[in-house]
This record gives sequence, C-alpha cells and structure tokens, in this order.
Amino acid sequence: MRPCGVFDERYIQDIAIVRTWQHWLALIGALVILYTFPFYGSYYLISLINLLSILIIVILGLQIVMGYCGQISLGQPAFMAVGAYTSAILTATYGISFWIALPLSGLSAGIVGMISGAPSLRIKGFYLAMATLAAHFVIMWIIMHLKITGGIQGLHPPPPQIGNIVLDTEERMYYLIVTMMVISTFAARNLFRSKVGRAFVAINDNDLAAEVMGVNLYYYKLLAFFISCVYAGLGGSLWAHYYMVVHPEQFTFMHAIWYVGMVIIGGMGSIPGVFFGVLFVRLLDEIVLFSSPMLSSLFPWLGPGPGAALGLSAFGMALLLFIIFEPRGLAHRWEVIKESYRLYPFAY
Amino acid sequence: MSTFLQFLILGLMEGGVYALVGVSIVLVYKATKTVSIAHGQLLAFGAFFFYLFFGYFGLPIIIALLLCFLAIGVMGFVIERLALRPMIGQPLFAAFLVTFAVFVVFDGVFLLILKGGILGVPKFLPRESLLVGGLRIPEGQAISFVLSMAVFGIIGLMFRYSKVGLGMRATAEDHQLAQSTGISVKKMFSVIWVVSSVVAAIAGISTAHVIDIYYSYPLLGIKGLIVALVGGLESLPGALLGGLILGILENISAGYLDPIVGGGVKEVAAYFMLLVILLVKPYGLFGLVRIERI
Repeated sequence: MRPCGVFDERYIQDIAIVRTWQHWLALIGALVILYTFPFYGSYYLISLINLLSILIIVILGLQIVMGYCGQISLGQPAFMAVGAYTSAILTATYGISFWIALPLSGLSAGIVGMISGAPSLRIKGFYLAMATLAAHFVIMWIIMHLKITGGIQGLHPPPPQIGNIVLDTEERMYYLIVTMMVISTFAARNLFRSKVGRAFVAINDNDLAAEVMGVNLYYYKLLAFFISCVYAGLGGSLWAHYYMVVHPEQFTFMHAIWYVGMVIIGGMGSIPGVFFGVLFVRLLDEIVLFSSPMLSSLFPWLGPGPGAALGLSAFGMALLLFIIFEPRGLAHRWEVIKESYRLYPFAY
Repeated sequence: MSTFLQFLILGLMEGGVYALVGVSIVLVYKATKTVSIAHGQLLAFGAFFFYLFFGYFGLPIIIALLLCFLAIGVMGFVIERLALRPMIGQPLFAAFLVTFAVFVVFDGVFLLILKGGILGVPKFLPRESLLVGGLRIPEGQAISFVLSMAVFGIIGLMFRYSKVGLGMRATAEDHQLAQSTGISVKKMFSVIWVVSSVVAAIAGISTAHVIDIYYSYPLLGIKGLIVALVGGLESLPGALLGGLILGILENISAGYLDPIVGGGVKEVAAYFMLLVILLVKPYGLFGLVRIERI
C-alpha cells in the first residue's frame, strides 16, 4: 500500500523495486558495508556471514516453491546435496574448474528437483510434503550407496581458483559467496515482477482457479520446483567448496525441518522474510550454544554439551509460537513497522 | 520358499507395530482432521516412560504399564490442549505444521534424556524363538503382535459400539453438526488424543522389546505416517493392512535386494512404497477420494 500523496504515473514506476532516493541510499550503503566488511570485521563475523549467505541462497529457493507457489517441499537438503556432490565430483574426481561445476551443479539439482516435484501435479498440501520427504530419503540413500560419491566417507573438493588466486580463506571466499547471495536475492525479487512469478502466486492462491484463468499448472509447478532446486544446488556447491568436505550427515531430515522452519518464522511469501528467518534461527542457535555451558553447570543433570538438543527444543518452541501467534512471520511485523513509519503522524 | 516364509513372518511381526503407529495417527485424523507427525515422539516417550517405571524404578510390570499409559496420556492431553486447540478452525496445513513443531520440541528433550547413549529395557517378554516346521518365530514379538491385534480389535469395537466412539465418528463427520447435536467437540478432541497417545505408547513398548531405545526412535512416527497414507487416512482397516504390507515389504525387499546392492534397502523401501502409492493412488488404498471445489 502506498502512503497518501504518492502516485505512480507509469507501469515502470509501479513495479519498481527501488522507489525513492532513500531506498537507493540504503541499498548502496548496505552494499558498501557488505563489501568492505572483511577489512574491519572480525574473523568470527566473517565466517558467520559466509554461512548465513549460503543458507539464504538455499532458503530463497525454498521460499520460491513454498512461500510463493504454495508447494511444500521437505526435500531441500537433498537437492542441496545433489548440487554439492555434483560440484565435488566434477572438481575433485574429474579436475574440472569450479566455474564450470557451479552452474552444472545448479542444473543437476534443478533436474532432480523437477523429477521429485512431479507428484505435485496430482497431490498437494500434506500429501506433497510427505512425497518430497520420501524423495529426500530416497535421494540421500542413493547418494550414500553410490561408489562415486564416496559413500559415508564423503568427498573433499578443492577450493575455487581465479587465475592464480586460490579462494581458500574466509575473507577470499567471502566475496564469492556474498556476490552470489546478492545476485540470487535480486533474481528472486525480480522473478515476482514477471509473468512467471505472478503465475506462481496464482497457483498458491488456488490452483484450480489459476488453471481456469489460463495458467498452465503442469508447466509452472515443475518450473517452480526447478528454480527452487537450482538455488539449492548453487547453495550446495558453494557449501561444498567453502567447507571443502561433503558428507551425507550435512544433509539430513533435521536440516529439512530447520529450513522449513526458517521460511515459516521469516514469513511465507516474502523475500525479506528469508533474511529475517535465517537470521532469527541462527541467532537463536548462537544464543543457546553460548548459554549452554552455563546451563549445564547450573543444572548438572543436563549432562555435558546439551547445546544441540536444547537448540532443537528452542527452535521447535519458536516455530510453535510463530505458527500459533504470528502465522505470517517476522516479515509481517516488518511490514507493519514500515507502514506506521510512512504514515507517521496519522494512524492510517 | 522357506526363506520367503521366514521373511514373511518377520515382516508380519514388524508390521504389527507399524500398524499400531498408523492406527494412532488415523485415530487423530478421523476425529480432528489433523495429520500428526508428533506421534513419533509419543511413541518414543512411551518407550522411555516404560523404561523409567519398569527398568529404572523396577516396579511390577502391570503397575509400570499403567503408570506409563497415564504419563503418556497426560502428555497427549497437554499437547492437544496447548498446541492444537488454538488451531481449531485454522487451515489444516497449519495444524500439520504445529505437530511438526511439537515433534521438534520433544526431539530436543528426547536427545537430552538419552545424552547420546542408549537405554535398554530389561527383558519383559521371552526372547527365545519357536521353531515351527523349520521356521523361526520370535516368541516375544509374536506375543506383542497378538497384543497389538487385540488393541486394534478393542479400538475397532469402541468406535463401532460405545457412546464415545459414536461421538468420535460424529465429530469426524462434521464439527459444527456434532456440536449442535450435543457432543462436546473439545472433549472429543482431548479423548482422541489421549487414546491415540496410549496406542502409540504401546507401539513404542513393543519396539523397545526388540531394539534398545536410541535417538532415531521418533522417526518411527514417519513410518506410521507412511502406513496411514498407504492405507488411506480415514480408514482403520487400511492402517492395519498398510502396516502389515509395509512390514512384509521391508523384510522381503531387504532379504532379497540387500545382497545385490550392498545393504540398507530396509531404510528406504518404505519411502519407495510411499512414492509409488502417492503417484498411483494418492488417497491410499481405502481413503476417501475428495472432489475439490473452488
């Protein structure tokens, strides 16, 4: 909703992402801070931003298929694994350059995701969630039992390389990961100004009604899964080369729950929501990890290192409270705050 | 042939447990239209409470069982009251996500209890095997299979003949209509959650006889969901049949395919079956086919 007195005269203005000079200022300021961060940020914060950025890429994909298109996918970690393993096999086993392996891993994850998303043509809601969950287990099982993926030993892909510069430190990897994150955020935001994005939203509202209005369900549902899994694959590939190890334990059922939880807490159907969700869940995790030594000394019966289990419970509790009290997530809160700022002296 | 029969028998025994988990999920779905993944935790905690009362405190088995059912009933009641009651009238998928969140909360607690170890319940059923015509029948599992069939029969009879069962069936049909005929829908929800929690706990206790309690116990709840989906979410006989099919399929596929692909077929057979069923018959074997209106 635009505040009173702001009129769009042309369609270009109406769909613009960056609308005012304040927006431009904020965008450029944020990008400058982001790109100069390694010069003054601490090592810990840089590695945290690396991890968050990779997660944001993956969750953006999930947001596209789940928040915008309304097709629940519990298989995101498996698609991420497909991307990670493709990249790792291509670079570590066949010695192909990372810059060729990165798009190929996106493509392979997209194709696998499209096949796994095929049941969405017949079923939806809870049934689709179970079908993608089954797909997750089947994919992970296949990965664990193939020779080429190294089974439960995993693989060790080399770090990427530009010319003679090897991207093997946090700071060097930072620029690659953050650039990918910025590009994919922009791409996701842009998608929903196009015909494809509007078709996704129509399917989310009611797929039968969308079909009656001329949206080709067959094409657009598969496209949604494809795009989402390309994001997952790219994220997985970055993940593989950032940690320099790929292992089935990195992509479990619990990760699927974390990812879906991030989308719900952030807010379904909102690109800023992805950032809020990832930040919130990660922050919660950090707080619990930070306080767990204190808790275990206060309550000895908790045993040593209760961090992981407590983090899980705290995350579940947050998820529960969000679904019950704020089903539209943090993004909705953010919208409310923005609205009241725009209209400031008036209530509405 | 005799190996085949052996796999069939073992599968049938395991299938009985799966069927019980499936039944507990179907019970909740029938009355509240909520698909619950939280029953995996109820199963795990049922097994844990039994360990606590029987193994840890060393109470006689009957008292331990009763206390275990009481504890798990309270747990089911609390979950319904605090987490699912606010979801009445909300979209069905939101309720599924709530059970999902409950699952995660209790998963953390469960891991905290286990502390990375395992809990072995002392022997409470015979662990010997009967030999019948060259086939090995594990005695304890056979007993728990018969018991689970008995539980299944009791639930079927309760649904068919008792007044509570009638109320449950009416609630399942239409919440508003049931309320207007004088059935307290809220009370029915509580009752159904308590009953299904106890059923899940029985499944957990039978599993604890075979495998020590370890961290992936709650994932049996996903097997239960698969059973419920295969049989059709509204159908009690479907859940029974689905459970038995799943148990037999897992054992037979593992027995014949493991040597070829090198192990681990048992973990994944259920998910293959689910994918096939969802593609061929999305509403399960006995489920009601829904026609959707805009």
